[in-house]
Amino acid sequence: MTDTTASPSEAQAAPADLPRNPPQRALPLNRELAGVWANDRGIWGQITSVSHTTLGLRFMATALVFFAIGGILAMLIRAQLATPDGAFLDTELYNQIFTMHGSIMMFLFAIPMLEGLGIWLLPKMLGTRDMAFPRLTALGYWCYLFGGLIMLTALLFGVAPRDGWFMYTPLSSSAYSPGINADVWLLGVTFVEISAVAAAVEITVTILRQRAPGMKLTEMPLFAWYMLGTSAMMLVGFPPLIAASVLLELERAFDWPFFDPLRGGDPLLWQHLFWLFGHPEVYIIFLPAAGALSTIIPVMCRTRILGYGAIVAAVLGLVFLSFGLWVHHMFTVGIPHMALAFFSAASVLVAVPTAVQVFAWIGTMWKGRPELHLPMYHILGFFLTFVLGGLTGVMLAIVPFNWQAHDTAFVTAHLHYVLIGGFVFPMMAAITYWMPLVTGKARVRGVGEAAFWVILIGFHGTFFVMHLTGLLGMPRRIDVYPDNPEWIWLNLTSSFFGFVMTIGFAMFALDMLLQVTLGTRARRDPWRAPTLDWAMPLPAPSFNFSSLPTARHLDRPASEVMLELACGDGALPGAPRGQREFLVTSVGAARPDHVAHLPGNTSLPFALSSSIGVFVLLVLWQLYLLAGMALVPVAVLIWVWGRGLAPRGPLQPIEIAPGVTLPVHHQARQSLGQSGLVAFLVANAALFASVLFGLAFLSVVTQGPAPPPAMIDTSRIAWATGLIAGAQLLGMALSRGGAPVWAALGLCANAVALIALLAGIVPVLDDPTAHARDALRAAMAAYVGLHLLVACGMAAFVLDQYRRGEITEQIRGAWAPWRLWQDFTSITTLVTILALIAQKGGA
Amino acid sequence: MKWLWWVLAGPTLWAVVFVAVYSAHGAVCAPIPGPEGLTTGARLLLIGIWILGVVAFWPLLRAVPTGTGRAARLPRWGAWIGFFATVFTLFPVVFTTSC
Repeated sequence: MTDTTASPSEAQAAPADLPRNPPQRALPLNRELAGVWANDRGIWGQITSVSHTTLGLRFMATALVFFAIGGILAMLIRAQLATPDGAFLDTELYNQIFTMHGSIMMFLFAIPMLEGLGIWLLPKMLGTRDMAFPRLTALGYWCYLFGGLIMLTALLFGVAPRDGWFMYTPLSSSAYSPGINADVWLLGVTFVEISAVAAAVEITVTILRQRAPGMKLTEMPLFAWYMLGTSAMMLVGFPPLIAASVLLELERAFDWPFFDPLRGGDPLLWQHLFWLFGHPEVYIIFLPAAGALSTIIPVMCRTRILGYGAIVAAVLGLVFLSFGLWVHHMFTVGIPHMALAFFSAASVLVAVPTAVQVFAWIGTMWKGRPELHLPMYHILGFFLTFVLGGLTGVMLAIVPFNWQAHDTAFVTAHLHYVLIGGFVFPMMAAITYWMPLVTGKARVRGVGEAAFWVILIGFHGTFFVMHLTGLLGMPRRIDVYPDNPEWIWLNLTSSFFGFVMTIGFAMFALDMLLQVTLGTRARRDPWRAPTLDWAMPLPAPSFNFSSLPTARHLDRPASEVMLELACGDGALPGAPRGQREFLVTSVGAARPDHVAHLPGNTSLPFALSSSIGVFVLLVLWQLYLLAGMALVPVAVLIWVWGRGLAPRGPLQPIEIAPGVTLPVHHQARQSLGQSGLVAFLVANAALFASVLFGLAFLSVVTQGPAPPPAMIDTSRIAWATGLIAGAQLLGMALSRGGAPVWAALGLCANAVALIALLAGIVPVLDDPTAHARDALRAAMAAYVGLHLLVACGMAAFVLDQYRRGEITEQIRGAWAPWRLWQDFTSITTLVTILALIAQKGGA
Repeated sequence: MKWLWWVLAGPTLWAVVFVAVYSAHGAVCAPIPGPEGLTTGARLLLIGIWILGVVAFWPLLRAVPTGTGRAARLPRWGAWIGFFATVFTLFPVVFTTSC
């Protein structure tokens, strides 16, 4: 075997299947790794943990607690609707409860649950030791927890949001929703979305760059394909919601009239932006669940999945098509016929890739020998429920039917069939399947099976009749119906079975509790699965693998591979350097590229999310000056975060297998950090595109009053634009440099652009409270200003790295991230300036 | 990475044709909103863009890597998915809609 030492270019040629490492004793290897990867002790250890196993489980556990809370709220709704004149809740509280039920289930249960599953499972399944950015995982968790707690606390104090989980304007505008109720939703959800974008970034990078050597993209487990599709959708789908929430909060706080039709705004802009997120959201929720199904079904049927390629193609088709469906939520708002035709056709078409997957699963069961273990019960429950939900989805895609059923209980029934069928049943299958890997214990038989039947009967009893209630004309979200006796028995039936379903979920929780407390020790690889997640001791250790799997360990029974890996046969055995390490591989063929050193346990994510939480609370209390000041510690902590990435000690190439050495990530040409920044910039571009879409929508589609005539100081705009353009082009050139003076000049160029924006462009903008288009221009100027400020910060950070001697000939430090950011900032700045000038000219 | 681009080429082309048809519809309808806005010429323009989009799949379907095995199949399927999505979702738009 030739030595493939040192340089990144040579490392590209490192073979995917690596030579065997000499066998070692498993126990000392295990102890060495545990010493490096374990959490610190006690409560502090929980706060500082950055382990994907700990945080993934914590995400899921927290999501299940929120699921229980959301379920209790659902029971309050059903209690109210059980009789036509229900006096159980007053209207105000009822509104808050159904809004919180939907918001909790969508934002605090479903999304975090899938994030948790991905964070916990992907490194195990792909054959690595952690996610790409462990501190980001922790930051995401704390943001999720704090955002969720803010929303829950508001409910306890009676100031929870009350405008429905999609917060339509003008109902949610300050004229019709005074008080902080709507602000709680807008700020709380945006806070929680930090965690979703963070998870999407690291899931994307982990799947593309951390697969076991030799695990080609075309051969990786289907779950990873599903999660890759999901994370891509999250990167593009969540920014429109973030943009919409920020705009609405600006309207409520500062009277910038984005959605006010009297001042050139349009409530439909909110609907477009919300559903641009909201419909892909359904697939974001469904795809990971489908990934779990594609993993579990072949194992339960003792066969291989049928139609791997067709399923991957279906996933890709769904990812694209799901962004072409959002208007089917708006068929009744008076949109052009063209949109009706296209979105109806696209909504019908999306049934095709969904059906491809369902047929692939049925075919897999057909060719295999299904064994009726508990996960399989839930899978069969999924088939029944989800297919029914899919069929009513096709009904709702047909425009004339949609017009009849819109905003009735029929839609409520449909969405519960899709979401409980397409997410909750598969998640219950996933939980029961992977529980032994979590607890190391086998389940106690009996309660789980009974829970399944009670849930299934309760669910269909609740929601099947709700289709009829809707077809009889009962609207969603009403709290009394004294004049409609024809709905009484149907509602009473739904309420009765709703409580049955709740009992079922309580039994499911009991089953889990019994497994944790009374379960006997599970044998290793209890399902005889072929995936790497079972090729480890039970419960899974914090480092997953004593040595990392390579090509020869793939596609073999986990029980066979387990012992080889435990004895150091794979790559990078143990932790001889006392650092957390894993392999980074190439995107397509998964060839070893370099070794990444990870940061250890730290309280930084907790501190940063707490600082963001303080900012959110101050905005909520309308203390805007203090909120601005609260951003200072946020900026300082982000700076400290960056400094934590500095190399510790000399950077020697690392031997990952006999004769194969790789550089560490500081010397890599394409580090994980760069890949992560690219993913983040995709999300950022989607945010920018959403705001541009808003500007185009208000300019072209909205039929409101024209903006007041503006006096354009052309000479002032001309010099400012020229200065900004020149400074940005200079900044782009300088960020490619490699000397401190270039960084200093880059800092100056960005500062000049920022000053030119503030002195030359901002003063000629019209009063943002006068007209919606003026408000959007001001918002875009603020977006650009923020990006220029960050570009200044990144140039300054590079300078600081020179000062501390962290940039050498071999180590490029933060040059590459700064270049990426600078390019993005320059492009968005120039596009914004052009848009502002064009708008100004057309105004 | 190149392989992934091939896989995504078909759906991406569908998205491009969708944007083109939608933009053209907006442009031809802007002067005269209402059912009479879509003149025969305007409809022919929409149909022309749609046919151009469909025809654009021809070189893609020809250029997409051939061969057997999953790595070759997926880009081919991606191209066909884009093709059928373009035909199916834009057909009613160009033939039946008004302004």
